Amino acid sequence: MQKSSDALPPLKRTWWLKHRYFVAYMVREATVLPLLFFAACLIAGMIALLRSDAAWSSWLEFMSAAPVLMLNGLALVASLYHAWTFFQLFPRVMPLRIAGRTLPSQAIVAGQWAGVVLVLLLFVWLFTGGAR
Amino acid sequence: MKKSALRRQAYDEPLWWGLFSAGGVCFAVVVPAAILFLALLIPLGVVSLDAERARSLLFSLPGILFVGAVVCLPLFHAAHRIRHGLFDLRLGRDKPNKWLTYGGAALLSAVALGGVLLGMLQ
Repeated sequence: MQKSSDALPPLKRTWWLKHRYFVAYMVREATVLPLLFFAACLIAGMIALLRSDAAWSSWLEFMSAAPVLMLNGLALVASLYHAWTFFQLFPRVMPLRIAGRTLPSQAIVAGQWAGVVLVLLLFVWLFTGGAR
Repeated sequence: MKKSALRRQAYDEPLWWGLFSAGGVCFAVVVPAAILFLALLIPLGVVSLDAERARSLLFSLPGILFVGAVVCLPLFHAAHRIRHGLFDLRLGRDKPNKWLTYGGAALLSAVALGGVLLGMLQ
């Protein structure tokens, strides 16, 4: 079966190294790789909880190993980079109009960062005894 | 044959695009706080979370929402980007890549949601 993509002139695998905008695009695409690692860690933690308290302790030990902390630190940076670029994109893709006036894009970006802070506060409340 | 294949409508794309967008929002808004607490502050001992407390938080209805927003939707977001990344790098063919990426995301999502349901039944 012929796919429309095959009809494009062939590109070399290294095409994206030719311009810094293309490199930035590929870096942004790659932010999901440490995210996958974090998701796998969470699933492992859930399985540990299903097994026993001892399994949970050894999961915490695994999570506090230096290479794991570094990968998850990278995942945090990657998620914030994704957020930073995604929030700027949003008002361009979907400009919001209220009462016939277009909302300034800075307001939309600020609103989205407010969402990040709100979720952060929810986690602070959950994990520092507030919800006990 | 060839002509009809070229004209074939990709009926499944809105689904993948929808999951990708929803996952992108979760990745940006919910995931940073989840990584900060679950993968950094708690393992470092800055914040403590014992097994009993973790079970009561995770194995609940809000726990299902948490897994949906932090695991399932971001996994579909990642799957979509990896599929297109493989295309950009001219690796593999799109059809098997779709099965691999979306299939993997669906499988891991099922494990994650199944685990929460199992924990709720325990």
